[in-house]
Amino acid sequence: MTSDTSQDLDKTAIVEIIKRNLVENLHDVDADKIEATSSMRDHGANSLDIIEVVSATMRELEIRVPRSELTQVENIDQLADKFLEYL
Amino acid sequence: MNPEDILKFSLADFGYNDNDQVLDPPADFETWIDDPRVGMAMSFFEQPLEKAPTPRTTLEHRLSGESRQMINLTSYNYLGLSTHPEVVEAAIEALRTYGVGASGAAMLSGTFDQHQKFAAELAEFKDRGGCMLFPSGYAGNLGAIQALLQRGDVLVIDEKCHRSVVDGVKLSGARLATFRHNDAESLDEMLERHDGKRRMVVVEGVYSMDGDLADLPAIAEVCDAHEVALYIDEAHSTLVFGETGRGVAEHFDVESSVGMTFGTLSKSFGGIGGFICADARLIRYMKCYASPFQFSCALPPPVVAAMRKSLEVATRDSTVRDKLWKNVAHFRRNLETMDLDLGESDSQIIPIIVGASGEKLFNLALSAQQRGLYLQPIDFPAVEAHARRFRISVSAQLTEEDIDEACNIIEDVIAGPLKAGELDE
Repeated sequence: MTSDTSQDLDKTAIVEIIKRNLVENLHDVDADKIEATSSMRDHGANSLDIIEVVSATMRELEIRVPRSELTQVENIDQLADKFLEYL
Repeated sequence: MNPEDILKFSLADFGYNDNDQVLDPPADFETWIDDPRVGMAMSFFEQPLEKAPTPRTTLEHRLSGESRQMINLTSYNYLGLSTHPEVVEAAIEALRTYGVGASGAAMLSGTFDQHQKFAAELAEFKDRGGCMLFPSGYAGNLGAIQALLQRGDVLVIDEKCHRSVVDGVKLSGARLATFRHNDAESLDEMLERHDGKRRMVVVEGVYSMDGDLADLPAIAEVCDAHEVALYIDEAHSTLVFGETGRGVAEHFDVESSVGMTFGTLSKSFGGIGGFICADARLIRYMKCYASPFQFSCALPPPVVAAMRKSLEVATRDSTVRDKLWKNVAHFRRNLETMDLDLGESDSQIIPIIVGASGEKLFNLALSAQQRGLYLQPIDFPAVEAHARRFRISVSAQLTEEDIDEACNIIEDVIAGPLKAGELDE
């Protein structure tokens, strides 16, 4: 993915990328059932899964968001907002 | 990387290397770590001690290269056994008899009479059927968990458990599940969620960054109700807690609910190594499948001989333990007059929580070090980003004068500036 594409991404698209990466890491979760207002832990993600989902999404978006800024993030929607700040 | 963002980043951010060349570190990691502000923070790590880890020691400052006399509040030589004359003598004597190294893995040629006697003594001390030794504490937790669990199992751990536990479960192929720190209700929910699978719960006796104790009575009750094995990591609590020093499980009188107990030899024992005590049949099985036991050289015989003496000194009566608790009480009395955030500590580990600013933490650390206090800063991700801190390890070897002098420095260079709001952005 090029950085031009990244800049064109809106929040909905970022939420979809996070969901896709979550499904890829958890295997037994249906993407259609993931609400943006839910947390990854609600779907059974552990701390290792969350690190992987965040890393994979940042790689795809070609950004690096300080992890210290993500510690207060409570759900997927807030995570997408934080990623948007760095696009 | 935007220079304005440099200080927002931490060691949590560069574990993934997107460089095509495996042998090249990530480019932005190098930009980050080469920044002088980050360099100042990193200068606190790997500073060489030039003398024993006693309350008065000598440290070579990494930036200036100069040697400084320091009051040491960082080493976890809680009972002072690392330099106890009887312990040192036992090591010297064994060194002359056995040489330096074990020259083999435990199963082949690395087991000496010292190892066998020590394992038996540890099993008796912990009142368990068997014991096995590991080359380090990290190897012990990792090896035990890797040997016990397999794909399809679930390891349920307190969210503040040590990295060795997490790495053990990764190696085992089992699924990791975490519950909220010391929250028995959260543990219950997590065990419910994974009902039907082989499960084990891991907690620590004393949590290393906060100094608080596991809420073992409540946690053991949940484990018993679910008929799930409880594994306790007593790294920081062995020889310190309990009437005979067996640890926090003894302190809370819940040892019958604990299936396996882990300890290190690098903290109160003053040496290096790890050990597991459990049912003898289980130890026999684990010796055949715990990789760090099978594929590492055994502990050096002089270290084992010294650790046997440490166990003897620490358990023949309660002198060193009593001295530690007297020092903890004196230290706390002094600190509590300073209006500091000391967290929830109930042990010999006492944090001073500074807050969210890493810059403030390291500036305070620099002032402390310049005044002769060796008190290491603990930064994110080792602790939560909003609760960066110092961590005091109280030692039985400290004199009241050492503690009073250390507290005077803490009051001048940490409590004072924090109270005055100096260094605030």
